[in-house]
Amino acid sequence: MKHLLYIILFLLSFSAFAQNQALFERANALYNEGKYAEAIDAYNTILETGNHSADLYFNMANAHYKLNHIGPSIYFYEKALQLTPDDADINNNIAYARNMTIDAIDVIPDVGFAKLIKNITNKLSFDVWAKASVFLVFCFVVLFLIYYFTYSTIKKRVTFISSLTALVLVCITLALAFHRYSLDKNDNPAIVFAQESKVKSDPNNRSEESFRLHEGTKVQVLQTYNNWKKIRLSDGKTGWVLSQDIKLLNDI
Amino acid sequence: MASAQVQFEAKVSKQKLGVNERLRVDFEMNQDGDNFNPPDFANFTVVGGPNQSVSNSWINGVRTYKKTYSYFLAPKSRGNFTISQASITIEGETYKTTPIKIEVTAAVEVPKDPNDPNYLAAENIHLVAEVSKTNPYLNEAITVVYKLYVSPRISVTNYSEIDSPRYNDFWSQNIDTQGQKVENGTFNGEDYRYVVLRKTVLYPQKTGKLDIEPLSLNIDMRVPTNRRDIFGSILMTRVTRTVSAGNKTINVKPLPEVGKPLDFTGAVGDFKFDVNASKTELDATESLQLKVNVRGNGNLKLFKLPKVSLPSSLEVYEPEHNESVNTNLSGMQGSISDSYTIVPQYKGKYPIPSISFSYFDLKTETYKRLSSNEIIINVLNGPNSNDASEGNSTSSINKQAVVFNNEQFAFIKTKTTFSSIKQNYFFKTNLFWSLLLLPFLAIPLAILIRNKKASRDADVYGNRIRKANRLARKYLTNAKKSLGKKEAFYIALEKALHNYLKAKLHIETSDLSKDIINNLLKEKQVNNQVISDFISILESCELARYTPIDSVTMQEDYDKAAKTISLIDKQAK
Repeated sequence: MKHLLYIILFLLSFSAFAQNQALFERANALYNEGKYAEAIDAYNTILETGNHSADLYFNMANAHYKLNHIGPSIYFYEKALQLTPDDADINNNIAYARNMTIDAIDVIPDVGFAKLIKNITNKLSFDVWAKASVFLVFCFVVLFLIYYFTYSTIKKRVTFISSLTALVLVCITLALAFHRYSLDKNDNPAIVFAQESKVKSDPNNRSEESFRLHEGTKVQVLQTYNNWKKIRLSDGKTGWVLSQDIKLLNDI
Repeated sequence: MASAQVQFEAKVSKQKLGVNERLRVDFEMNQDGDNFNPPDFANFTVVGGPNQSVSNSWINGVRTYKKTYSYFLAPKSRGNFTISQASITIEGETYKTTPIKIEVTAAVEVPKDPNDPNYLAAENIHLVAEVSKTNPYLNEAITVVYKLYVSPRISVTNYSEIDSPRYNDFWSQNIDTQGQKVENGTFNGEDYRYVVLRKTVLYPQKTGKLDIEPLSLNIDMRVPTNRRDIFGSILMTRVTRTVSAGNKTINVKPLPEVGKPLDFTGAVGDFKFDVNASKTELDATESLQLKVNVRGNGNLKLFKLPKVSLPSSLEVYEPEHNESVNTNLSGMQGSISDSYTIVPQYKGKYPIPSISFSYFDLKTETYKRLSSNEIIINVLNGPNSNDASEGNSTSSINKQAVVFNNEQFAFIKTKTTFSSIKQNYFFKTNLFWSLLLLPFLAIPLAILIRNKKASRDADVYGNRIRKANRLARKYLTNAKKSLGKKEAFYIALEKALHNYLKAKLHIETSDLSKDIINNLLKEKQVNNQVISDFISILESCELARYTPIDSVTMQEDYDKAAKTISLIDKQAK
């Protein structure tokens, strides 16, 4: 009985999967015919089933770009980049979409050691770093026990050194996992969806306008207060913006 | 014949007079008639008249005829009166004049000397400032027209401005009044000639009460005296007089705060707004003109055009401002425009967001907002913005290289594998922590186990006891259970011993006799003493079935069996 249930569940999930594939192909056909709005609707139904992929986001972004929706286009390109950061097509098309944006914001580059650390940290996700550290812990323990129980001097030397190396590597990977985790936690990007958004110095309407942002600009959300979000631009400017003017990339 | 049109009309010298003044009424006709029937001057006393005069003239063969009946009237009381119709019959038809309304006011001061030239000058020349609206909105156009009224009785020979007004807090523009003509008009109900001296359009720039400074003129004129020359015509005297238009106060209303758009820049009037691009499809490094244009009627020169916000990747130059504005009495009319030169650098589509312009509409007294359409500039050919950093554009103009364009907008992806949006993370879960930390526990555990084993190995005597105990446990458990019950105990014990031998010496129960046991144990190099002990236990087992045995002996036998088993186990090789 239980087995039967499992089989049914498995088949159901498979059918949902197949349905999504069919939807995806239909949406692609619509896109190719130039019916971008309909294609977007079809892509959205896939998203509503709780599944996603970088390709899906990429196609949605392309459709929005063709319809000249700056904000949504950039939003979905960024979503796609979150899943596959090094995809050439996505990077190519997001450049087109960024051309449509109005705001020119300088990026403060990281230099030296900080850049090195960041590069290494961003090589793997924190989950992979965590798994690597667990694997290394096992390596360390096995090697250490071999070292402890073995009698030959050469074996003892080799296993001792390799076990110590494993231990050091455990510390490093663990640190990287934590670093990546904190980076991911603090990384809360959002895209400006309003055509023009006034960024205030305080979270109320009375306060002075610090600067203005236009549709498609990427900002970092630092904190939330009532209906306002504190944002930071890539050049370091901060201010408060109305929540409905921006859309968070990580919907948690 | 003479003019076909018969005219018969009544004229009064003034329509407004004091109760102590007199009025002259003329009834004029241009053809002779009969049966003139004057109105009854009900509220007036006829002081003089009717006086009849006829003038008949031929000029170039055209006859002009005029016959006038004149009356001098004095009002009987104050009030508004009507001089009713007079009638006359001309060539068999009856003609009537239109009634004339007369206002009789309180008595006016009559100067002591009505023939004083200065008094006459003051009475017969007036400088008037006519303001089109005294309570305009901020930035609403108003006009001030200065008119100089001169009575037909005097003549002006010269005038000069001694003080021209300054319009503080106004934006002002004078309208050219060159070649002004003398026109006829009425002033205070009397016939006058007037000339427009100056027309000014004003746009108030401040709210509240604003003063318009007066215009002052120095006028030379000739006024009649009561003297006559020998031919009977009146002698004139020359008078110089300064006249000024009164100080006018304008009450400027502020624009309403209700519904005031945030981007309101002060435009007041009636406008049309549009944004045009000279072309929407072009190649990179070509230029296009984006024109932001406001047309209409209002304070065109007094507000700023909305700025265009353009994508950062377009090169934009400072706009060129053009004004073609005419100012007339109704205010400024025309158009103003900002022309932006835009040079796209990279390929792609660039939307120019819709720009909105808000103004205050004076007709509806509300704010209105006009928005332009969004324009999309499509740059067809050009470098991609990705390789902008490399950007050494060695442009060979003469030759056109055939380049494969691999920097197209990429097509969608046709294949994908979906994954769940909800992700379960491994990091920081309990499983992660346990997998990370529990292996470390394995190290002390392994060391502890090893140490224990070593110490056990070292303890020889203890080991022996433990071994014996283990053997005893293994084979003598049944016997131990039935300790006390003689029959069962010895059967179990015998069985146990046989089992032990079977396990230890690999012999079958069938050929188990004491001699064989003895030989086998000897082969295994077991001590003779031990062998005899073993045999004796087996014997006592058999014996015990037939003899009474107390429990103490049973215990002894049990201990002995256990000891012997352990000794055999130790010694057997």
